[in-house]
Amino acid sequence: MKISYNWLSEYVVHELSPEDLAHALTMSGLEVEDILHLGPSLDGVVVGRVVSVRPHPNADRLTLCDVDLGTDELVPIVCGAPNVAADQRVPVATIGTHLTIGEKVLKIKKSKIRGQTSMGMICAEDELGLSDDHSGIMVLSEDAVVGEPLVDYLEKEGQETNDTVLDIAITPNRADATSHIGVARDVSALQNVPLSHPEVTIPPDGGETSQHINVDIQCPDLCRRYAAMIVTDIIIGPSPAWLKQRLEAIGLRSINNVVDATNYVMYECGQPLHAFDYDRIAEQRIVVRESVEGEEFTTLDGKKHTLPKGVVLICDGERPVAIGGIMGGENSEVDETTSNVLIEGAWFCPSRTRRSARALGMSTDASYRFERGVDTDSQAWATTRVAALIAELGGGSVTPGIVDAHPHPPTETRVDLRLARVPKILGIRIPRKDILRILTSLGFEPQEACDTISCTVPSCRPDIHLEIDLIEEIARIYGFDRIQALPSAPLPTSIPVTRPIDLMRERVHAYLNGHGFREIYTNSLLPDDQALQFSQAVIEADYPPVRTLNAVSRSMATMRPSLLPGMLNVMQHNANHGQRTLRFYELGHVFHLSEHEAAFIENYSEYEVLLFGISGPVRPQSWDGSIPLADFFDIKGDVEKLLSLLNLEFLGMEPSVEPTGITAHHITLSVNKKWIGTIARLSDEIQAAYDLPDPVFFATFNWTRLALICEEQPAAVYAPVPRYPVVERDIAMVVDSQQPVGPMINKVREAGQALLKNVDIFDIYKGKGIAPGKKSVAFSLRFGANRTLRDQEIDHIVQNIVTTLSAQFGAELRA
Amino acid sequence: METNLEYLKTVAATFSEEIAGATLDTPAKSEEFRIRFLGQRRGVIPKLFKTIPDLPKQDRRSAGQLLNALRNEAQATLESAIEQHRVKTSSAGDIDLTLPGRHSQWAGSRHPITLALAKITDIFKHMGFAIAEGPEIEDDWHNFSALNFPADHPARDMQDTLFVEEPGEGRAGAMMRTHTSPVQIRTMMAGEPPFRLIAPGRVFRNEAITYKSYCLFHQVEGLVVDEGVTMADLKHTLTGFARAFFGDDVKMRFRPSFFPFTEPSGEVDIWWDLPDHPEGGRWMEILGSGMVHPNVLDAVGIDSERYTGYAFGMGIERPAMLRYGIDDIRIFYENDVRFLAQFQLL
Repeated sequence: MKISYNWLSEYVVHELSPEDLAHALTMSGLEVEDILHLGPSLDGVVVGRVVSVRPHPNADRLTLCDVDLGTDELVPIVCGAPNVAADQRVPVATIGTHLTIGEKVLKIKKSKIRGQTSMGMICAEDELGLSDDHSGIMVLSEDAVVGEPLVDYLEKEGQETNDTVLDIAITPNRADATSHIGVARDVSALQNVPLSHPEVTIPPDGGETSQHINVDIQCPDLCRRYAAMIVTDIIIGPSPAWLKQRLEAIGLRSINNVVDATNYVMYECGQPLHAFDYDRIAEQRIVVRESVEGEEFTTLDGKKHTLPKGVVLICDGERPVAIGGIMGGENSEVDETTSNVLIEGAWFCPSRTRRSARALGMSTDASYRFERGVDTDSQAWATTRVAALIAELGGGSVTPGIVDAHPHPPTETRVDLRLARVPKILGIRIPRKDILRILTSLGFEPQEACDTISCTVPSCRPDIHLEIDLIEEIARIYGFDRIQALPSAPLPTSIPVTRPIDLMRERVHAYLNGHGFREIYTNSLLPDDQALQFSQAVIEADYPPVRTLNAVSRSMATMRPSLLPGMLNVMQHNANHGQRTLRFYELGHVFHLSEHEAAFIENYSEYEVLLFGISGPVRPQSWDGSIPLADFFDIKGDVEKLLSLLNLEFLGMEPSVEPTGITAHHITLSVNKKWIGTIARLSDEIQAAYDLPDPVFFATFNWTRLALICEEQPAAVYAPVPRYPVVERDIAMVVDSQQPVGPMINKVREAGQALLKNVDIFDIYKGKGIAPGKKSVAFSLRFGANRTLRDQEIDHIVQNIVTTLSAQFGAELRA
Repeated sequence: METNLEYLKTVAATFSEEIAGATLDTPAKSEEFRIRFLGQRRGVIPKLFKTIPDLPKQDRRSAGQLLNALRNEAQATLESAIEQHRVKTSSAGDIDLTLPGRHSQWAGSRHPITLALAKITDIFKHMGFAIAEGPEIEDDWHNFSALNFPADHPARDMQDTLFVEEPGEGRAGAMMRTHTSPVQIRTMMAGEPPFRLIAPGRVFRNEAITYKSYCLFHQVEGLVVDEGVTMADLKHTLTGFARAFFGDDVKMRFRPSFFPFTEPSGEVDIWWDLPDHPEGGRWMEILGSGMVHPNVLDAVGIDSERYTGYAFGMGIERPAMLRYGIDDIRIFYENDVRFLAQFQLL
């Protein structure tokens, strides 16, 4: 909200420059986000006296003037204004002055105008930025001192030329600071100077006004007070310059004298006000009631609304005339034909105002204030003040009396402050006299009783309910800067250790970074069709994705059920930018609607996923050979390595060459029949849909579950390092070329028993020397024990392995 | 085996000839040679030595001398060959040492947000804070009510909330958490004071994507609850953090603000030098903080008379952008390799 420095200074006398004021307010809770300097720069503009005038020889409309600027010589100036005359005191822009006229900057130079020298410019008001007046040059009073800067002259005349506007970010708790008097109250507390309220004499309740208007509040909880006054016989017209200046300084457009007056008083004291055309109020009645579902109403901005139930409506004898606390109606708006106005100063319920404003998609200066909580006792004051102002500006008369419907006057709120509590929260001792002074200046009327100070909450502070609220008030005025950081602090007795999941994450990062993967962060929100497409096939069960209810765009409509689309978007982006090598990973949450997999919030399943994927060459180009494209066994190798680093080599792997919507072929990893991960090749269709040149392989894990299983694994235990040599043997077995090798390795391990320490496949061969339809699988076996192995026992085990492979798979030892 | 000295002499002469004629120009050939003549198990010379006990006593000495000579011959030939290889490889003139090295993989990298998060959590870990995490879908109670956000209060407008579909009829809708503060609530519900933790994570705002705002961002929240905790402790922690993160000469200020779940509430600004700025720089807000509101402690069943606490929270993207001079938040989520690669050194 914008606060004018000049306007503010009407209510509090302080010594602060605009910058110092901004700093003081910022440091006490009213953050000044911007400081704007308004008004023209009048540097170089001085008072001159026109000594003589004569016509320009070459131009009918121009006049040659000799002007006394208080210097030794008279200055020749060519002037185009019709009203210039000898002996006038006028503002003169001297050589070198920069005048801002509208958007343009005019630099005054010595010049020749139609052959005549001109050494300056006699200015009109608009050229000085003082008004829009361009009818002629500005003529100053006769006692103006020749040669004096114009600014000094204007100041003596009581005219403001400059102002500074502070743009304040009002936090939602500070309803009291949405006005100039509200901010001035903080300044008075900060500077320890008095706050001066404008004098207003509230008329006696009823009077003549009550013969012309009747107010009936049918929902007293939503409208606790409704003050009404009438001003008659006014002439609607433009506002005077001072009022326009005030409003324009804070960014409001001047409309007419009545509307401007209501805005002025609202920005003065924080009470929103509304002026009705009294003659358009039927039956001289105001009824405040709640709307019924589907009622229609057109607000004064010309928008037609269909109202939900429960909106507070201000009605006359026949129909609604305003939405209470939000906006007036078109049907009772003040316009140029209005001569009598009815002024409303009311209090509307904050939460209802907020709900209605949101439902109607409206936010107005009035609703902004009512939502936060308007002073519960400012209605009669503000109504009286604006009535007088309207009468003054419009030349009308205020009807005596006021209708002040006030069904439930608020009860006084008292809050006690225990002095001992202050240092327990703030960590410093604030002297009692400072506490009392701060509370007094903020209007809390503190009363001391032993170790407690009893406070009365002022009606402008609906945010104050508790002792802690008072402590905050004291702290912000006393100054947060005066709270000193502890010089040192004791160490807590329980020192937290790094969680296993964080250690595991670190291991995953380290492995993947070391293997050329780059971490990515992708959006958790996807277009709905993309979310649906990827919600199945690569996860354990086909649960629907979670849709958002109020997304800002269709491209962010649904929570991601998988990290895969995000990574494919990244691969596509990088492929489009000439990147052939695509190796990425992401750790992030995914979401499903599921009653079975609920984690924290009932009916929603959410868990963390680790996804990594590769596409393109398997390693960097080198000078001694071509580099193959990555394939399934590259990603599978990374998975196996990662699992071994996490001590999870025992996970079951179930291969499937059946294509799913997403994958061409895949392996499912599980523990106790529960899905824990998938290794897959992306289907050709999806690869093509993302314009990716090379096949894509990825691995995805339920990281939440994986980490839990990992945590359950026994900690590593030392085993003595064998001191005896190992024995290596190679065997090649010929099997059907369709025979999967995985089960053969498992059987080799079983048959090799404890002495077999390691099995590797070092060759798969088809072709010359091998019968058609067959392949040779070469195993490299490594035996070891804590003793010297004898040839015979190794021979025996190898024989056993060969026999097992023959029996199980029809394998034959390759000749 | 039937044997005698004469036979041994003939054999030795043959082997001697073979040894003399061997061309051991590669290490492999030398190894083959070693196995053939000197190998412990199958080498021919050790085998011949094994026949000595079978000879008549008077011949054994001569046979020993004969075979020793033969063995020395073989050993000398082998050693000279090995020496040759050594000289050859270390002085080979045809290796081009300027060729690039072989890379088994490209460089990988962590995302700059991970790096910034790690840096922040690392500082707090040194100050004895534990790490806690929670879900990104939350209910109203954890995200708002327990944190003292009244229903229909403008405080809720401070955070544009993204609501999600309800699975059943008539259920209270859930939402994407707007801050990681619900983790405070979950942690306090699950344990007893003292608490000293930070909660890093992803949070959501229902905002359009522009260069300066995104529909999600990352946050670290901190919470300390114990007996005797005051705002002086809070300032101590935040000052320590700002110095560790931005450098010992950081200029900071602590000014009052408003958050429903803390009171008094304050924001920390740091001074950021901007050479082009008319004032030489400006204050940048980096975090919000305050003393835990008694209503929050009451909501989770902690005695707010006995215990006090402080909480703080900061976004990750903003300080990261400040630190790295990034002027468009969207680049974090675009994941261009040319962007990511800039962080592999950090």
